[in-house]
Amino acid sequence: MLPAGLRDVLPPDAAYEADTVERLIAVFSARGYERVKPPLLEFEEALLSGAGAALSQQTFRLMDPVSQRMLALRADMTTQVARIAGYRLAKVPRPLRLCYAGQVLRVKGSQLRAERQFAQVGAELIGTDAEAADAEAVSMAVEALQSVGLQRLSVDLNLPPLVGALAAELGLDPELTAELRQALDRKDAAAVETLAGAHAKLFLGLLQAAGPADEALARLERLALPADVAAGAGRLARVTVLLRAALPDLTLTVDPVEHRGFEYQTGVSFTIYARGVRGEIGRGGRYTTGDDGAEEPATGFTLFMDSVMRAMPPAPPGQRVYLPAGTPHDEARALRADGWVTLAGLESAADSAAEARRLGCAHLWQDGRVVELD
Amino acid sequence: MSANETLVLALPKGRILDELEPVLAKADIQPEAAFHDSRSRQLRFATNHPGLDIIRVRSFDVATFVAFGAAHLGVAGNDVIMEFDYPELYAPVDLDIGHCRLAVAEPKALVKDDDPSRWSHIRVATKYPGITRRHFAARGVQAECIKLNGAMELAPKLGLCRRIVDLVSSGKTLAANDLVEVDHIADISSRLIVNRAAFKTRPREVGDWIERFREAGDAV
Repeated sequence: MLPAGLRDVLPPDAAYEADTVERLIAVFSARGYERVKPPLLEFEEALLSGAGAALSQQTFRLMDPVSQRMLALRADMTTQVARIAGYRLAKVPRPLRLCYAGQVLRVKGSQLRAERQFAQVGAELIGTDAEAADAEAVSMAVEALQSVGLQRLSVDLNLPPLVGALAAELGLDPELTAELRQALDRKDAAAVETLAGAHAKLFLGLLQAAGPADEALARLERLALPADVAAGAGRLARVTVLLRAALPDLTLTVDPVEHRGFEYQTGVSFTIYARGVRGEIGRGGRYTTGDDGAEEPATGFTLFMDSVMRAMPPAPPGQRVYLPAGTPHDEARALRADGWVTLAGLESAADSAAEARRLGCAHLWQDGRVVELD
Repeated sequence: MSANETLVLALPKGRILDELEPVLAKADIQPEAAFHDSRSRQLRFATNHPGLDIIRVRSFDVATFVAFGAAHLGVAGNDVIMEFDYPELYAPVDLDIGHCRLAVAEPKALVKDDDPSRWSHIRVATKYPGITRRHFAARGVQAECIKLNGAMELAPKLGLCRRIVDLVSSGKTLAANDLVEVDHIADISSRLIVNRAAFKTRPREVGDWIERFREAGDAV
């Protein structure tokens, strides 16, 4: 038995997932995103500094016998890529486009994701505050997912800093703001009404401004938001227009109060869903990277491969052909060059067709040609 | 795919169902006849809307079905919602029915000598171990919960524990068992709950139902 949340991935799923990861990365690479590969472990204080702090409770730690310091096993790769951009690649011209794929480990699975280990595939666009960058992150994520066969995708656009900014503008104290945020996260209309008091109409308005993008943005615009807060909403609306132009058929929703999972996001963010698949396929958004004095605006996204694989059509069966023992090497090579998966018989079998079936081959190489078995 | 296309509304069995009838009527949801037949063994019911089916399950299971996306919409009390604290649930409409409160109660005889500020550990019988633990943890008290599924009032009487956390509506059951309410945890009412992914991926259909229930809740 394996520990909870950890599992063996077997054929054909393991190969299918690896192949899907490479196809996603190929889409990012074709758009100029260069691949980086950070290590599994880092010093705890480096991995969990800044934006990484949000995942502190989800991070496994162990003692490094060599340095005698505490190491942390990554629970997310975004902060690692941001660190690479800020230090190793500080002199590379901006905007910097990077992509990555790798395994992450979390202390606890969530309600929808029991897995404690899963693969992340993502891309980061660093050193630009352009609205076009926000749109590029969303559209590239969606196009990559579509290219591997995911259908009926739906993108929810969010503004995680909005509630905090609005509460600060209205002078609500931090404790009340935290409770209000929790109620808004749960879309608990009754609790929002009680907590917001005199501002109930405004916060309920925000709650009801969640839905199909066009209606939601129109409702958001009608709310009496303070100028600073309205500016953020305006940007969201302009990014939506850019996205509509790039992906006219995509289902777009807007939810201005969504905040869970966006602990370090500072602007336009998004969550990708696929209809009929529980849980999120991926998420991303705008954040700030780098140390004090050397901050850079950035955006990016992460796809969760466990959810991606749940949403994928079933693995196409491989075309396996059984080669009886003694089949000439050049014939075998020619078949593989044609895309066949060849299983070479190691000893001569009395009934080649039966042996082929026993080994899961639907085809047999016989008399110089491929014979389909029934 | 078609099983995926029909929206499923999960409703709780029991007393809330009666209070829910006028809300369903206002929202123009008419379940097939078998739904009202308490002897029927059927679990899933068609409605006058081809794209909407109803399932009837225990109140705690409503939240679970909706949280995992097996049902898309549901009706549940905020006691159930608070107990599980599922991140995948939205509760956009307070239906203003099923009112009661969640409270801590203890035997009358205990009250006069009891000083809650001295507690470090207490033992509580409840259907709501999650809420109970969080409620007492917030005041620095460790609550050891004994999960019961009913007849909570018996527990102090038979010495299982001294305190209970339970739903109270009139308070008659407590009084009949020589118990008094000593602490109020939350006001309870029934809410329309919605699965988060369904709300995001089928914004129009799900949004329409939310709107209907909101209007029905206001009208009742």
